[in-house]
Amino acid sequence: MSELRIMVNGRVRTASVPPETTLLALLREHFGLTGAKLGCDVGDCGACTVIVDGHAVNACLVLAAQADGREVVTIEGLAPADPLHPIQQAFETHASLQCGFCGPGVILSAKALLDGNPDPTTAEIRDALAGNLCRCTGYTKMIEAVRVAAQALRGDRDTGAAAASPPAWSEA
Amino acid sequence: MSEKRTAAEKETLREILPEVGTEHRLPATPPPAQYSIETLVPEVRQQTPAVGQRATRLDARLHGLGQTKYIDDLAFPGMLHAKIKRAGVASARIVCIDTRAAEAVPGVMAVLTGREIPVNSFGPSIQDQPVLADERVFHAGDGVAAVAAVTEQIATEALERIVVEYEPLSAVFDPIDAMKEDAPRVHPPAGNVYAHKVIRKGDVERGFAESDRVFEGRYATQMVEHVPIEPHAAIAQWDSNGRLTVHSTLGRITLGRTDLARTLKLPVNRVQVVGTIVGGNFGGKNEISQEPVLALLARKAGRPVKGVYTRREEFVASTTRHPIVMDYKTGVRRDGRILARKVRLVLDGGAYCSWSETTLGKACILSAGPYKIEHLHAEAFAVYTNKTVTGAMRGFGAPQVCFAYESHMDEIAAALGIDPLEIRLLNAFDEGSSSPTGQTLESVVVKASLLKAAQRFGWREPRS
Repeated sequence: MSELRIMVNGRVRTASVPPETTLLALLREHFGLTGAKLGCDVGDCGACTVIVDGHAVNACLVLAAQADGREVVTIEGLAPADPLHPIQQAFETHASLQCGFCGPGVILSAKALLDGNPDPTTAEIRDALAGNLCRCTGYTKMIEAVRVAAQALRGDRDTGAAAASPPAWSEA
Repeated sequence: MSEKRTAAEKETLREILPEVGTEHRLPATPPPAQYSIETLVPEVRQQTPAVGQRATRLDARLHGLGQTKYIDDLAFPGMLHAKIKRAGVASARIVCIDTRAAEAVPGVMAVLTGREIPVNSFGPSIQDQPVLADERVFHAGDGVAAVAAVTEQIATEALERIVVEYEPLSAVFDPIDAMKEDAPRVHPPAGNVYAHKVIRKGDVERGFAESDRVFEGRYATQMVEHVPIEPHAAIAQWDSNGRLTVHSTLGRITLGRTDLARTLKLPVNRVQVVGTIVGGNFGGKNEISQEPVLALLARKAGRPVKGVYTRREEFVASTTRHPIVMDYKTGVRRDGRILARKVRLVLDGGAYCSWSETTLGKACILSAGPYKIEHLHAEAFAVYTNKTVTGAMRGFGAPQVCFAYESHMDEIAAALGIDPLEIRLLNAFDEGSSSPTGQTLESVVVKASLLKAAQRFGWREPRS
């Protein structure tokens, strides 16, 4: 068994798991963090993307033991429902998520990008999202949302994200 | 009750029901909500308050928070994990299946083979698909046995220990070959052509005789998998009174419920299907797949059982888009006007019918294209082959024939030296045109759309 001590979403978590356990299985099955998804299990689709020490990684390709002593951020660690993280807000406002299955991975890839590069070019955004496959929405609206989120994070006021209306479901 | 209404409420009621007094019952439906319409597009048709409005998807918030629960995010106490063994041979007789070694693996709670399934066939129009192959394998992705174990890994390991003895049978993989009299029969004794449709309009031979030029071409499309990012997944569980609940990625839960009841030989009212948020469907999750297997494993083990397809299973065992071989023959006047068209479509149905009949009908009706053609003969066949089953996918056959008739159109235009846009404007449907099946078409904007598109991307500008 591998004895692990990992900082997950700002909290130290420990686990004792079989050595073949992936980081994805650790997060989903042991910690109940199901935001990262299993789409292909071979690192092609990016639905399992999480941030490890500032880098977006495919959690299905990383062994849990490799994350020992590191800092992991999952979609659950990004923000509460209100207020959302500017990236989540921009994805909502720009209708960048349809079925939503790829969403957590895409948003975390965007976060890893913007944390290191607050003013990316469209080419840089495309490059950062290249490992995340989407089959419903397509990438145009996602790229637009990342651009708007970057503006919001830099403190620009005139952004779509800042002007977003509250979602209908919270009014019910 | 009525005495307690305020004056304003009574006034509202009188507006809703001007003919009746306040003593009458409230209307069955509330009055329509008044929307203030401020359209972003000025000339937009104002039939619905939704057109031209910005809206936020209701589900966007939980999607973005990662809190939407898909099937694989759900778990029930004591839940087991199922895996299905795939045949790996395209056509064979199953001589015997030995599951004893798998049953002996610690952690394995139930093993299932096709012979244990009460009614081992399903399908939306022809019930030709076994839940698990029992006597015969029809394509390499057929399931032949299934295991439920305490972990996915144990289930996968146990599958390796199941020994299946096959007697290989001849197989056919090409739909044109499959139509021949002497071709191996996929579902003997029936022939391989299992659905057929013909559309006749005018006299196609006379049309060809009157044409200045006649063009022929063959076009073919490939098999396409939907590849939803979320694989097919389901969880089956029984309550103590013998009622089954299945959480599933199924898009058509009522059809799925009927199929489950039929395959399990249960009254429909003993089956509940819970449709969850689906991580991509595109037509690929329109019928049951592993659900009866999970239900039977769950009954044997006395525990909830979850099954999630691997990405490989998505490709080999779930439905796909029909490859179609499309033969076109078109007679035209010198100026490009189409006088007659003959179309033959051969749909490669794979091993089972699934939604082939729907796809066949739609492909056949649309095969002439959005063009006014007086003399038409379109014929379509759906054919069995020993390949992955084809079924519903966005467009139900429309994209395949569109590729064919538009490619054909470009070839005709090139041969006649006519601009590809002009030949389409010359032939395209008008308001009130008649479709190949005699439907009078309304709201026809083909030409306007073509012209607008051509203007937008600069079609008429000189190309370097």
